[in-house]
Amino acid sequence: MTVAAESRPRSRQRGRFRRLGKVARFIAALAFVGATYTAFSPGIYADEPTDAPLSIEAQKGKEIFDQSCITCHGPNAQGVEDRGPSLIGVGSAAVEFQVNTGRMPMARQEAQALRKPAMFTPEEAAFLGAYIQSIGGGPEVPDTVDLDNLEGADVANGGTLFRVNCSSCHAFSTGGGALSSGKSAPDIHPASSVEIYQAMLSGPQNMPVFADNQLTPDQKRDLIAYIKYIQDDQAQGGWDLGAFGPSTEGLAIFLVGIVALAIATLWIAGKS
Amino acid sequence: MSTDVPSGEEKKDEQAEPLDVLDSGVTRFELVKEALRRDGVEILHYEPRFPIPGTKEEKRVVRTISFFFVLAGLAAFGFIAAYIWWPWEYEFGGADTWSKWYTPVLGALLGIALGGVGIGILTWSKKLLPVEELMQERHDGASDPVERRLTGATLAHIGDETGVARRPMLKRALLFGAAPLGLAALMPIGGLIKDPGDALFTTGFNPKFNGGNPVRLMREDGTLIRPEEISVGGQITAFPAIPGGATLEHADSPTLLIHLREPDAAEARANAYEMNQGSQWENIIAYSKICTHVGCPASLYEQQTNRLLCPCHQSQFHITNNATPIFGPATRALPQLPLGVDEEGYLYATSDYKVAIGPAFWEREKK
Amino acid sequence: MKRRKLDVKQLPAKAAGELDDRFQLASPLRKVLTKVFPDHWSFLLGEIALFSFIVLLLTGTFLALFFDPSMTEVHYEGAYAPLRGIEMSKAYESSLNLSFDVRGGLILRQMHHWAALLFMASIVVHMGRTFFTGAFRKPRETNWLIGVLLFWLGFAEGFIGYSLPDDALSGTGLRIAGGIAESIPLVGSWVSFALFGGEFPGDSVIPMFYILHVFLLPGILLALIGIHVGLVLIQKHTQWPGPKRTEHNVIGYRMFPNYVSKQGGFFMLVFSVIALMAGLFQINPIWMFGPYRAEVVSAGSQPDFYVMFLDGIVRLFPAWEIRAFGFTIPAVFWPGIVGMGLFTMLPLMYPFLERRFTKDKAHHNLLQRPRDVPARAGVGAMALSFWVVCTLSGANDIIADKFNISLNAMTWGGRIGLLVVPPLAYLMTYRICLGLQQHDREVLAHGVETGIIKRDPDGRFYEVHQPLAQPDEHGHTSLEYNGWTVPKKMNRLGALAPTLKGFFKPIEQAEKPGANGDGSGEVEEGEKREEISAGK
Repeated sequence: MTVAAESRPRSRQRGRFRRLGKVARFIAALAFVGATYTAFSPGIYADEPTDAPLSIEAQKGKEIFDQSCITCHGPNAQGVEDRGPSLIGVGSAAVEFQVNTGRMPMARQEAQALRKPAMFTPEEAAFLGAYIQSIGGGPEVPDTVDLDNLEGADVANGGTLFRVNCSSCHAFSTGGGALSSGKSAPDIHPASSVEIYQAMLSGPQNMPVFADNQLTPDQKRDLIAYIKYIQDDQAQGGWDLGAFGPSTEGLAIFLVGIVALAIATLWIAGKS
Repeated sequence: MSTDVPSGEEKKDEQAEPLDVLDSGVTRFELVKEALRRDGVEILHYEPRFPIPGTKEEKRVVRTISFFFVLAGLAAFGFIAAYIWWPWEYEFGGADTWSKWYTPVLGALLGIALGGVGIGILTWSKKLLPVEELMQERHDGASDPVERRLTGATLAHIGDETGVARRPMLKRALLFGAAPLGLAALMPIGGLIKDPGDALFTTGFNPKFNGGNPVRLMREDGTLIRPEEISVGGQITAFPAIPGGATLEHADSPTLLIHLREPDAAEARANAYEMNQGSQWENIIAYSKICTHVGCPASLYEQQTNRLLCPCHQSQFHITNNATPIFGPATRALPQLPLGVDEEGYLYATSDYKVAIGPAFWEREKK
Repeated sequence: MKRRKLDVKQLPAKAAGELDDRFQLASPLRKVLTKVFPDHWSFLLGEIALFSFIVLLLTGTFLALFFDPSMTEVHYEGAYAPLRGIEMSKAYESSLNLSFDVRGGLILRQMHHWAALLFMASIVVHMGRTFFTGAFRKPRETNWLIGVLLFWLGFAEGFIGYSLPDDALSGTGLRIAGGIAESIPLVGSWVSFALFGGEFPGDSVIPMFYILHVFLLPGILLALIGIHVGLVLIQKHTQWPGPKRTEHNVIGYRMFPNYVSKQGGFFMLVFSVIALMAGLFQINPIWMFGPYRAEVVSAGSQPDFYVMFLDGIVRLFPAWEIRAFGFTIPAVFWPGIVGMGLFTMLPLMYPFLERRFTKDKAHHNLLQRPRDVPARAGVGAMALSFWVVCTLSGANDIIADKFNISLNAMTWGGRIGLLVVPPLAYLMTYRICLGLQQHDREVLAHGVETGIIKRDPDGRFYEVHQPLAQPDEHGHTSLEYNGWTVPKKMNRLGALAPTLKGFFKPIEQAEKPGANGDGSGEVEEGEKREEISAGK
């Protein structure tokens, strides 16, 4: 609002009034903008369940979230277009998996979030998980399943389940494999039992989801027991050449077998 | 008998007259040279490696060769001992076990044993045997024209003797008899030939395997499937719920059940080909798992891009668009299985697949 | 009673006499004993294949005693815990038994498989040597044909062999083979049904494969190998050009004792390498794959390397299917059937094609250095690079995953590579051959570089060259190239002290240079120089 300059000060009083008026109009303008913002912006506590406040863990999680996750996932974990998906309903299993394996926070937008050194401690990851669980719910690892001690798990059943559901992406050796256009199913060797469970439960990125009513906790436990078994079982019959199958075997026969024997032929007969 | 072994170059054509082989005064080496000469071999260079026996150098070489043979023998003994007494029975190798080393130990010892013998023999050949360079005439190329003519005449005469050329009726009769006989000899292979019939057009989901009733879907452990048991964004491998449905008896039947998210399911319904209209059950869609390229299970479901990747040759199918191939060598969409839910809440196939599943073949469209 | 005295020393002569009385062996035996063989390291590459074949026969016999080629389903009750109770075919079960329940079974299985890979790899290398040196020319075209057949028979034998255990990995390969069979126009489905005794997989393919693998194919292979080696014996081996070597002679050493001892020793080495690899490197861990199931597959599935080129070209060939009048010619028909036909026919026809193009109908016993036939070397490089691109594309998903390349990009790279790399390889090889030829002639004309740099009075630096014959006043010789290796380093001329023998320390004194008579001229020993000291 422009105020036309007065040509002659009629009275000082009027000038003072006008200055006061300027201030008043300024404050009114501020109030107007603030009110508009408050009316249209999503409230920070908009999704907070009105019946229960956040637990201490969830509160701590929220603090971490507001610092490290908000840029891509939005202030209420509702997601930001072209940056990060909504986390409403993903559950604590997904959060703990992504954070404990260092996949999140993601370094840059790319085809696949890859495992890297975790930025948060497992405790902090649990807080984040609790926060996301409390604001949106979702699958979490049940307390009833014992993943530290896999005694009694049916390894053979786990093997059958693995071959039907998992080996097509993660390979018989659990070493992982390529997906389309630069994506990949990762090597499972670095994953802990809990992380494997969480991954199955949450279906990270392009991995299909295996909820607990599709693969029961016991079935998942069998699967994990099988995976751990074949990973820890010493490669029978010598070094497994990385467990890549016939491709490295073919490489080995040329690089080791043929090279050694060609050198032998040079020793035997030489050049004449 | 003197062992006259000359050194250095040999003069060619040393003897003007042929050697009397049976003369007892001839030296052994002269006999050898005569033998070589008769086989067209001329000695260019021949000398023993150690003309003076008993030098330090010779002893060294002999010691080296002996060392390799002894090493080989020891390794062979080790191999036998390990074979018999090293713990070999399979045990979980996570802890430090002896048995996991059974194969490497056997291989290493056998390798050393064989290698020792080999190196010993080769060192013997390279370092102890005389140095020699011999030239042998090849005498190759066409035969002597005399021989050729003689043989040619003989063959031609035999041909005449059989009289086939002169007797056209005999020739024709022979052909008429021999050719089918040759074919007859191959006939037993016909025992392998089987008429495909309509086998390639039916899968285990055909009601004929269930007494004319629609076939339900089951998991590999035999349990039936309810729609709510498939996670959103998840997949289940399903089989026809008939005896042996999950075995190789019905290797054409494995089916992928995918629970799409709401917007994706709507997109899939909107894109459905005419024959696939109504095949979805709400948000659950079923496609044949057998890739239409050459038959591997196409099972890498990418739940966010809705692509199904086949790991064998990298064909990619778009799940929300009738599973048409969008990359790779596959040319046809994966057939869709029409789904329904029966009154007990289990998924079933309302009919068999509407087209032949799996790799294409000449008469594929003749369904 | 008179005791007959046994004269031990005379026993060999007596025995030989008895044999000769019956079989008249004296002349033929001597012919074999005195046969002359030429000597070069590259002539031993085919032997690797021969010896690995013998190892295959020995280890295969052992395995056959335990393997059960039946597709009847049983429940596994053996030692390997993760598969206990699982339903599988008897073929798979007996293979697992060999691996875990038979003492020494695993190392024999691994020796058999590594020997098979070595057999095929050495055939590839041996074929390369034969091709690039022109050993397939008249009169040896027949041997070349047999050799190509041996490669394809080995291919079939190996494919069938690794499919016998009926595991998930090889079973997938069998499915693909069935799909390729189905793609044949008109009769495809009939061919597939004949192969599997009905719809895939049926229960007769493994028993049928067993008879092919242990009886029919080894028999044919043995016969062909026998003819292959026999032809080399009769026609005598080719040799490199060199001093005194002509088209009408062979220069080398005798069959006995030299050649046979080298062959025997080399056989031991080949066997040793196979045993070492079998013990130290795991191969084909079928227990990780589980029994074959139509719904099971692994990421990163490949056939053995010698089949991988076929998998690669099947991956790369675009989705071009022909559909007309209600009939289909599937896309995989072109790489799978037509492509394989070409890969078989072209090598078989090559000697005759080359004869046509070069109009060379002469009889050849001397080999050619690859550089002297740049066109053939180029063609060989083309074929080899095509094969390598196909084979690498067969493993393109593993390469994509481990080197973080997009899988789709790998496919496109392979497609473009197939078209672009072979012509590039041809061009590069051709140019390199021409360059090498030029260098040969340059050294013949100007002599060998000695590495001695001199400076003349006007300050110009030049390198002293050692001429190979008496030079004219300009330092040029008029030596003609005649197909032999041109010496390019001084130590090849005997103009330096011979290299000292002995591994850790010399075992003889260095002789004066030129003593063994093949030096081309005397080289001064060099004046005695005073030790250069810091000077004071």
